[in-house]
Order: sequence, then structure tokens, then C-alpha cells
Amino acid sequence: MALILTYSLGNDLYGLEIDAIQEIIENPVLHYVPRAEGVLTGSINFHGQILAVIDLPKLLGFAGNQRDHRHLVLTSEYRSLVLKTCGVERIVNLEMELLQPPPDGHDRPAVRGIIDFDEATINLLDTDEVTKQLEDIFAE
Amino acid sequence: MRIEISYKFIIGFIVVVVSGILVNLVVPYIEGIEPEFRQLFSILCSLLVGLIIGSVFSRAFSGNIRRLTSAGDRIRQGDLSEDVKVGDSRFPDEISDLAKAMNQFQASLRSLVGDIRNIAFRVANSSQSLSGTSQEMAASAQEVARTTDQISKGAETQAEMVEESTRLFKEVAISIKLVASSAKAVADSADLTLETARSGSDMAGSSLDSIRQVLSEAESSGQQMVNFIAQLQKISKFVEVINGIAQKTNLLALNATIEAARAGEYGHGFAVVAEEIRKLADSTTTSADEITGLVESICKEGEQVQSSMAQVIDEMESGREAADRTNQAFSDITRNAEGTRSKASSIAELAEQQTSSAERITRAIDEIDRVVSDNAAATEQVSAATQEQSAAMEEMAQSVKELSNMSESMLQIVKQFKLVKDQD
Repeated sequence: MALILTYSLGNDLYGLEIDAIQEIIENPVLHYVPRAEGVLTGSINFHGQILAVIDLPKLLGFAGNQRDHRHLVLTSEYRSLVLKTCGVERIVNLEMELLQPPPDGHDRPAVRGIIDFDEATINLLDTDEVTKQLEDIFAE
Repeated sequence: MRIEISYKFIIGFIVVVVSGILVNLVVPYIEGIEPEFRQLFSILCSLLVGLIIGSVFSRAFSGNIRRLTSAGDRIRQGDLSEDVKVGDSRFPDEISDLAKAMNQFQASLRSLVGDIRNIAFRVANSSQSLSGTSQEMAASAQEVARTTDQISKGAETQAEMVEESTRLFKEVAISIKLVASSAKAVADSADLTLETARSGSDMAGSSLDSIRQVLSEAESSGQQMVNFIAQLQKISKFVEVINGIAQKTNLLALNATIEAARAGEYGHGFAVVAEEIRKLADSTTTSADEITGLVESICKEGEQVQSSMAQVIDEMESGREAADRTNQAFSDITRNAEGTRSKASSIAELAEQQTSSAERITRAIDEIDRVVSDNAAATEQVSAATQEQSAAMEEMAQSVKELSNMSESMLQIVKQFKLVKDQD
């Protein structure tokens, strides 16, 4: 039984363990970062720390411009990234045993596994994948 | 010394007798005569004396008588130039009286004949001039006759013209009457139009009033609607606030859950509470959304009401404009109708005047007609009179001719008389 925060990316429901989340903040003051890539929408001052804000839908290639003003501040374990989503839903308690690997043909990006919940499919976010992709981007 | 013939006769006889006696007395003293022859001688002597005296006397007497006779003959033949002269003017008697008388008679006859001749001349001249004049008069009478003919013809033409004019004027009078009645009809219809326009104007005015009333009511409704919508907006704002609070609560709940999870075991109860709070926040949000939905739908309905109100107001406005225009149009109609009526009245008046003028003209034409008829009659009379005059003229010419002839013949007769000796 783990607590999963559900959020939407495009039309898909994604999930993220709340262990990964430090805090959810709303409408932070976004500072402009010069010469930043598109996915880096800016930086915020989080309790004295300067953290990078990543546009997750854009990173993973989701269309649409709808973004939730609530940002997910990840823990330092996850590089203290701040994630923008299309819409923060709620926290659900899920049986992790029910986690299945994504089947063939499931072409959602950065999905570690899927869990059915309440007639919906939660795509559990593969944070490593996201980190790797970010590293790829910023390495250039 | 005047001795009448009888006295001359008596004196002669006495002389003869005396001479006889004297001879008788004398003869005895004459020698040579026998006494028987003495008586014879005395008788012869007295006869002789008597013869002598008688022949002398009778010669003179018959000579005078002869002269008188020849004078009478001369006078008869027309020779008035010589006076009768009788001899022996020493003892004038009745013969000289007769001669004087004859001379006087001749003289008076002369003067008479002279007068007659003069008069005959004058008559001849006069008759000639009269003849000439009568010819002239005949000519002028003809002229008059011709002119009268012309006048007659002219009078005919006049009469025709008068008839024509009368006919035309009758037509004019009829058309004037028509115009007058038409003008009256126009005035009547203008009156009717005026009434109708006035009532129409009233109706337009009253509909304008009701439109204005509706408009003001619509405005007040609109105002109420605006107030209502303002209230709704206030509600919306509150709902927004509530929503904001709910969202923040949601966020706090989320963060609380996260922290609670981090707190491990000790955070479970807190996590439950946080979850409850999140649910509450969610339901709050749901309710707030419902409220928002309701408010929106109410707003939409309100907007619809407002838009239909606006439509109504627009229509009312256009209705008001239409009523205004109608009013204006009625005013125009009223003005036009009044103008038409006054014009029709003046036309009717003019027609009246024209009718009376036409009547006067008709009467004048009747007068003319009468005058023309009179003229024609007078011309007829003149013509007749001229004809009579011509006839009379003819007669006169005839008479003048006769007169001329008579004067001619009188002249001829009178020519026979010789008034002066040298004349022939």
C-alpha cells in the first residue's frame, strides 16, 4: 500500500509516489532563466533553495498548453526538480502488488508500470527515465 | 287835254251841225249858187265837212285801232319788244288809255314772260341739277342698299357668333359648376382627411405614450436585471474566494499527507485527517463548482433575458421611431389637408365668382343678341326704306325728267316771246 499522487499529463493519468515529493506548492514566483531550454521554464526560490522548474508534459512530448499552477517539488533524492503537470489530482492509496509492467503497444512515455484504479489506468512515472532525458537535454 | 271819244263824236257832230248851220248861213252870201242848190250845197258842204271830219277822225281812230290791233297781233305772236304808239297825243282819249293800258299790259306781260323765262331757266337748271342730284341719290341709295346688305350679312354673322358664344359660355358655365362642385368635394374630403389625420395623430400620440411607458418599464427592468447580475457577480466572487480557499485546503491536505507519510507511523492518523480534509475541500470545491454552474446558468439566463430585453427595447425604439414618424406623417397630412381645404375653398369661391361673371357675360351676350336682332330688323327696315327710297327716287327722277321736259317746253314756248327789239 503506497500513497500515489495522481496527476494528468495530456489525456493520460500518471502517478508519482509521494515519497518522491517534498511538497506541492502553488503559483510560485517563476524566475526567468536566460538561455534556458524549452523544458526549463524557470527557477524558483524554495525555502532559500534555487530549484529548476521542468515542464513535464513538454518534456515527455504531450501536446496541449494546459498546466496546473500547482507544482510538484521533488525531494533531493530526485534532484529537487520542480515538475509542472497538466493537472494535479489527488493522493490515492494503491496496492503496489497490482503494479503491472506496461504491456506491448502501451506507448505512453516514461511509464514504469500501470495500475488500474477506479476504472482508470494510472501510469506510474519512471523518474529515472525523466532524469535521464533531462541529463540528455542539458548535456548538449 | 283829254277828250273822251264820245265827246269827240259829239263835238264832231256838233261841228258838222254847226258847219251845216254855218254853211247855211254862209252859203247865201256865196254867189254862184242857186237857191235850190243852196240847200244841196249846204248839205254837201256839211257832208263834206262831216266827211272830212269824220274821215279824219275815223282815220285817226281806225288807225289807232289798227295799231292797237296790230300790236295785239304782235303780242299774240309773241313780240313784246315794241310799245304801242298812238298818234295825236294832243287830245288823248280812251284809245290812248287803251294804248297805255296795252303798253302796260305788254310791259307786265314782258316782265311776266321775262320772269317766266328766268324761272323756266332756273327751273331747267334746277331740274338738271335735281336730275343730277337724284342720280347721285340713286347711286348713294344703291350704295346704301349695298352697305345695308353687308350690314345684314354682318348681322347674320354676328348672330351666328352670338349663338356660338352663348353655347360656349353655357359650356363654360357648366364646367365652372363642375369645378365648384369638385372643389366642394375636395374640401369635404380634405375635411375628412383632416379629421382622420387628427384622430390618427391622436392614436399615434397615445401609442407613443404607451411605447414610452413600456420603454421606461423595460429600462427599470433592465436596471433591476443589472442589479441582479451585480448580486450574482458578488456571489461569484464569494464562490471564487471559497474555491480558492478550498483549493488551498486541498493543497494543504496534499502536503499534509506527504508530510504525514514522511512522518512514518506517527503520521498515519494525521494522514487520515489530511485525507478527510482533502475530501472536504473537494466537496467544497464541488459545491462551489455547482454554485458557480448555477450562477453561470442564471447569468446566462439573465443575459438572455437582458438580450431579449435589449431586443424588446430596440423594437420598442424602432416602434417609437415609427410612431414618431407616423406622428410626423400625420402632422404633414394634417398640414396638407388644411392647405388643400383652404385651396379648395378659394377654388370654390373663385368658381362662385366666375359663375356670377359668366352669368353677367351671358346676360351681356343676350343683350348683344337683342341688339343684333334689333340691328337686323332695323337693317331690314333700312333695306325696305332704301328700296322705297329707290322707288321714290325713280319716281322723282321720272318727275324731274318730266319737270325738265316741261321746263324745256316752257322755255321753248317762252322763247317765242321777243322781249327786246334787237333779239331774235
